[in-house]
Amino acid sequence: MRALSALGVALMLCCGAAALAQTPSDVRIDIQSGQTRRLRVHCESLRPAGDRNAAQTSAQADEVLASDLDASAVFSATRSWVPGQQPFDVQAYVGGEWSVNGGRVRLTGEVLDAPARRSILRREYSGALADWRSLVHQFADDVVLQFTGESGVASSRIAFVVPEGRNKELYVMDADGYAPRALTGDRSIALSPAWSPDGSLLLFTSYRGGGGPQVFVIPAAGGRVFPISNRSGNNTSASYSPDGSEIACTLSLDGNAEIYLLDARGGSPRRLTNSRAIDTSPSWSPTGREIAFTSDRGGAPQVYVMDHEGGNVRRLTYQVSYTDSPAWSPKGDRIAFVARTGEGFDVWVCKADGSDARLLVSGRSNENPHWAPDGRHLVFASNREGPWALYVTDLDDRPPHKLDTGGRPALSPAWSPRRSGSGASGSNRSN
Amino acid sequence: MLISNRLRWPLVLMLIVLPLLAASCAKKATQAPPTQTSEPTPVPQTTPPPAPAPAPTSESTAPPPFTVQDLRAVFFELDSYALTDAARAALDHDAKMLRDNGGIKVVIEGHCDERGTSEYNQALGEKRAQAARDYLTAAGIDASRLSIVSYGKERPFDPGHDESAWAKNRRAHFSPR
Repeated sequence: MRALSALGVALMLCCGAAALAQTPSDVRIDIQSGQTRRLRVHCESLRPAGDRNAAQTSAQADEVLASDLDASAVFSATRSWVPGQQPFDVQAYVGGEWSVNGGRVRLTGEVLDAPARRSILRREYSGALADWRSLVHQFADDVVLQFTGESGVASSRIAFVVPEGRNKELYVMDADGYAPRALTGDRSIALSPAWSPDGSLLLFTSYRGGGGPQVFVIPAAGGRVFPISNRSGNNTSASYSPDGSEIACTLSLDGNAEIYLLDARGGSPRRLTNSRAIDTSPSWSPTGREIAFTSDRGGAPQVYVMDHEGGNVRRLTYQVSYTDSPAWSPKGDRIAFVARTGEGFDVWVCKADGSDARLLVSGRSNENPHWAPDGRHLVFASNREGPWALYVTDLDDRPPHKLDTGGRPALSPAWSPRRSGSGASGSNRSN
Repeated sequence: MLISNRLRWPLVLMLIVLPLLAASCAKKATQAPPTQTSEPTPVPQTTPPPAPAPAPTSESTAPPPFTVQDLRAVFFELDSYALTDAARAALDHDAKMLRDNGGIKVVIEGHCDERGTSEYNQALGEKRAQAARDYLTAAGIDASRLSIVSYGKERPFDPGHDESAWAKNRRAHFSPR
């Protein structure tokens, strides 16, 4: 495989440039060796204050906070409320105060270094008691920010598709699987959700227009559906460019599935690919300068990369005979994809230049990988335990963990961007 | 085996009647092609239906009206939209039916088995529907009578997860327009 280094020089130059563009972080997730060096933190119970029912919600908040930190893939959390979990060799203590007054809650989050117990982070979050989980998620994300220079993803969401009889509906839930709710209920076939960069909208494919598949957009909070592309033939696989100004999608208005760019409202189509084969499933690089896509121009479907104008097309990897579902990491450095096996698909990851391709998840079928905004997690759909469900892998040696979608089968996940600054729950920063 | 005299006759009767019933049911299910009296002997192509068992002969021989169900589905190999010999034979039959029933407009649905992504299969299903449409237009059917839609792998005919189900689901299928 390394013998391909004939391609070497140019690719390494690309790679180096991409690496320089990355924000450096303290924590290196080394998927090459399958090992991660997680920081040990010890969670101490939040001190309840205020109302009588503060104690009840604070115990739940304790567990949500510890799970968020574990799920961050940055930390390994021990819990003071679990017998036997001692603060062994920890880098920090995480805790604070949980104050409930009427319908409001205020979380004063604290991080103390170890062993000195010197305060290194203290921040207040307040909001409606009904929305207490989002305050905990924000604190967890800030703890990740404190240690890595980059916010966590506990406050993000995941859109997905639920098969209901012969139909498929669009759903959205918190990134930890909490509160899945239906966005569509039109008893049609909804597919391929994709978030707008600000997290406010979801593009999706649906047969709701009558006839063939068309592209629509719906507010991520629910609401009216608007058509984006209902041109003759297939309209599928839509995704916003990283700056939100364009939409890449697959149209067959010329009789064959080709990748097009549309403006953000779905107008002025510009064709990027030009082959008699199937070209579909575009995935943007985070710079918006390149697009990975699937094509069967070489026989079996394979992932290719082209630039934003449709030029400079090159096959991503030669290590596997059938690949599809490219997902470009929001960090830019890696591309996840699926490779066909006898039974279904495995999830693979390679560098953006196609080198260093390696198997990440196998076992029955594992499909539609999609990155979290931190580039540290992948969500994918799998029937590895029977029914189709969503799983998250942290790219390390831990087994993928299943998201609870309330007993519903689930497909085609899409991880939202981080919530933008307009904190709906009214986070209040001090310090 | 001892069967009392009292039971013997009803048993014999059942043995005669049951196969007759079964034969007439099977005939209904296989839905013989309509016999058009005006045309010079429409011969059923390729696979002839099982020879009709001696059945109650009805006097009214009016042909059943043409429906889209009379058109044969076209089946494909894995990951392919190439027309096989069997597919061409089915489409030859369909072309004749469409020629004989000039007012009929149909939707050709392209379908795939469950393997592969939704997005790729939507494109593949479209290729299959196009392959069927192109064959029919080449056989003289006006393109305005044929529209296509791809369902990819989203509407399988057989929900199973084995080759026999997959083979049924890789198809171009006619529905009314």
